[in-house]
Amino acid sequence: MTRLTDLPPAQAQRLAEVECPHFETRPWVIGPALARRRVAIVSSAGLVVRGETPFRGRDPDYRVIPGETKPNELLISHISINFDRTGFQEDWNVVFPIDRLNELADEGVIGSVAEAHYAFMGASDPLEMEPHARELAGRLKRDHVDAAILPPV
Amino acid sequence: MSALAHYLEEEGVASVAISLIRPQTENTKPPRALWVPFELGRPFGPPSDPGFQKRVILAALQLLEREQGLVMIEDFPDDDPRAQPDPRWRPPAVPAPPADTSAAALAAQLETEIDVLASVHEDWLAQTGRTTVGVSGMAITESARYIASWLHGTASSSPREAFSAPLMLRFAIDDLKAYYLEAGAAGTAKPSSRQLGDWFWNDTAAGAAIQALRAAHLASEDERLKLIAGNFLVPAARVRGSG
Repeated sequence: MTRLTDLPPAQAQRLAEVECPHFETRPWVIGPALARRRVAIVSSAGLVVRGETPFRGRDPDYRVIPGETKPNELLISHISINFDRTGFQEDWNVVFPIDRLNELADEGVIGSVAEAHYAFMGASDPLEMEPHARELAGRLKRDHVDAAILPPV
Repeated sequence: MSALAHYLEEEGVASVAISLIRPQTENTKPPRALWVPFELGRPFGPPSDPGFQKRVILAALQLLEREQGLVMIEDFPDDDPRAQPDPRWRPPAVPAPPADTSAAALAAQLETEIDVLASVHEDWLAQTGRTTVGVSGMAITESARYIASWLHGTASSSPREAFSAPLMLRFAIDDLKAYYLEAGAAGTAKPSSRQLGDWFWNDTAAGAAIQALRAAHLASEDERLKLIAGNFLVPAARVRGSG
């Protein structure tokens, strides 16, 4: 178990005090019951499909992870080195829970799983990520996604 | 990254964020978030535990069915059972780090270690069918040679046109860490990340070599190299001399 109190004090303080953008609006999109939702993963782990361009520094755009991507094809290119990667090495679901989502769809708990998933690099400037995130929303809607789960690392 | 939740939601896509650093989520105020008490890097908790992971993801997705409120941050109640050390675990055998800690000695031993660990890493591949080595685009022996050239002070241009030489050093080091930590986890024991990290940083020439590279380039006149050496080679908790 790791909480901020378990990290070196300087690192914990840095993380807790990261400047966050201030949002005036409080958007709240409603949708159907979970059993009818189509779910996509929008990660901020700097994930990249093997052979594609890794995140360079704080690139603010995103990478596409097709739904048929195999576990051996997914890599992490997040700029930070201050998080565990051994969990992801053993089991990609620790960061990218695609097998769990597919199981939940098979069990009828969720409606379906998106055709593709997406990854940003979470240490990028949120203001620079904004146009890419808004463009991504259009892609998600074209794939009829009505639930995005957003895991960090 | 709760800012993404705002952008997606403003565009009409419902979202739920997983939060690892609660104060950041409290500041950004996404519509819905599940805070999880797990180690950074493990937003869905323990590896190889589908039941636990499913409980986390369901706890998050079920927030989508809640009525509109103010900002909603719910706490996941359970800790990651895999955060505990496994007393059965033994690290792979590698030669003791050289008493001679010169760059040349570290470079030589780094390449020896890669060879020594090759069969254990093969075991890992057979066991999991997968490796996370590859962000540099180079084979691990090539990455080791590239890192060795930095230790010798003979590294020149980047082996990949799209990336600067310091960035390629960083990617090669990411691959080196992945190779060692995968080799270290081969077998039936389930080491914690701390056990694996202790071994890598304290008992291998690779760990010593990365520390040496950091120290050597902290005062570089190349600002990009200085930045990468200072912040993106050795984790904050592993910097020699840090508390």
